[in-house]
Amino acid sequence: MNPVDSARALAVELCGIPLGTPLIPAAGTLGKEALDGVKGIYGAILPKTVTPEPRAGNPPPRVAEVPAGMVNSIGLQNPGLDRFLDDLDAYDVGLPIFVSVAADTVAQFAAACERLSADPRVAAVELNLSCPNVEHGGLQFCAGPGTVGGVVGVCRAALRGKPLLVKLTVEDAVANAIAAEGAGADAVTLVNTVPALVVDARERRVFLRGGLSGPAIKPVALRAVYEASRALGVPVVGCGGVASGTDVAEFMLAGATAVQVGSGRFARDASEILGEFAGYLSAEGLQARELTGLLGRN
Amino acid sequence: MKLHRTEALSRERFGDHVRLRYRWDAPSIEPGRFIVARAGDLSAGLAPFLPRPFFVHDFADGVASLLFEVRGAGTAALADWGADVNVSEPLGRGFDLGGIGDGPVALIGGDVWVAPLKLLARRLALLGVSHDVYLELPATASETYVDLLHRAYPSATLAPTDGGPEAPRTVLERVGDLTRYRAVFASGPSEMLAVLSEACAGRIAAQLALRERMACADGSCFGCAVAMADGSYARACVEGPVFAAEELARPSGGVTIAGALP
Repeated sequence: MNPVDSARALAVELCGIPLGTPLIPAAGTLGKEALDGVKGIYGAILPKTVTPEPRAGNPPPRVAEVPAGMVNSIGLQNPGLDRFLDDLDAYDVGLPIFVSVAADTVAQFAAACERLSADPRVAAVELNLSCPNVEHGGLQFCAGPGTVGGVVGVCRAALRGKPLLVKLTVEDAVANAIAAEGAGADAVTLVNTVPALVVDARERRVFLRGGLSGPAIKPVALRAVYEASRALGVPVVGCGGVASGTDVAEFMLAGATAVQVGSGRFARDASEILGEFAGYLSAEGLQARELTGLLGRN
Repeated sequence: MKLHRTEALSRERFGDHVRLRYRWDAPSIEPGRFIVARAGDLSAGLAPFLPRPFFVHDFADGVASLLFEVRGAGTAALADWGADVNVSEPLGRGFDLGGIGDGPVALIGGDVWVAPLKLLARRLALLGVSHDVYLELPATASETYVDLLHRAYPSATLAPTDGGPEAPRTVLERVGDLTRYRAVFASGPSEMLAVLSEACAGRIAAQLALRERMACADGSCFGCAVAMADGSYARACVEGPVFAAEELARPSGGVTIAGALP
């Protein structure tokens, strides 16, 4: 396949935004220091989740490797929305910028969306309703369809003229996704890291309480994407354990329109993942946009 | 993380420690920087999931080396498995050699943390900076490892410890009067660095090379948090792994240093 055909095969559209490839970095996994050469790999850039005020994050240890993945408990360390926006140009590599937002209250979520509405550099907003590693601004917003619908509705009203994505936890994913869509979400991202615990048996203590990512959660995430995409009219962005081009294809076949790559790029070069996916498309004679939901229809 | 497949030139065992030499085509590597590495090819899957971080032990004439202790699956695979290794570019912020004139400076290390001091000693010699090397020798060190230290650091003063509560002070006692040095460069167990940091505070500039658990190794994930004196957390992989001692928080008189992934 020549380069032009390859580029055409990889392109997708998410909420009206053309993406050169279906890959998007999962929040908190592609920092500004790691942006060299990413333009051809990702379809959009998605920096680490920002909160209205700065957060110092959790004390170390923050990461632990486990079979087929890792557990992290970073605690949303970030400089706060003001400094984040001051520094946002650092993420401008010529790709659409999606901004991931978390907050302690619905009002703070709305205020952040209001500010992001006014910034022309921001192409879309992803609400992080599902961080498992903070006491506030985390999973309580995924407590059920009522709370999800509440915060999404307020944010949808506050975020004018830009797509609103909502990142959800795996628990009650379908019901919460339906609530998010009902409240105006333009897409849902499934799934965030899975609440997990690492125990140090020798020391007889909890080593880390955080979120599990990596290939270990891929089947769980695939099922959430598969079921949610059949229940929704809006696009689903798949996330969870993507570490190969075949993984990308699996998520899209299961119903994802785009796919986030998170800790998989710690283990591998993301360009290899994209290259494998391009190889899959070429071998199958398909274009990326044709894959979404193709599972079971051939 | 982009890794480069490179030829492993040798793997030497020294008890539980391994020195791995590999070809690396670059004009130089700054001392104190680190790489991440994993063994073999990935066709068998990502097990273990993450590459392992290592200080660059030495570099000369297109050959780099790592010195590590075999502690788990990642290091065991690097020690034993396959002819090739996959390594990243050198990463992070290494030792700052500004302001030390022609010395003298002290290089202080302990256990497997001595790894980054070899390249530092080489660079200092090249720059004509007078330096002394002091290495803490744990009670559990094998004869072969002691032999390695003698060969890697031929002029080093070795400070054997008994593993007791005063062990972290042993190497400092061998150094004696710190103020005769213009700077201290150290890499060692957290307890040793804590004692050293305390001894240097307000008297002599000290730079500490820290080992931390890492995931992304490129600043993205904020997993390798290091507690700083101003209450913030820095990333060992970008702002470090070498820090000025006064930058670091010293809760209960010590710096907090976790072990690297084995």
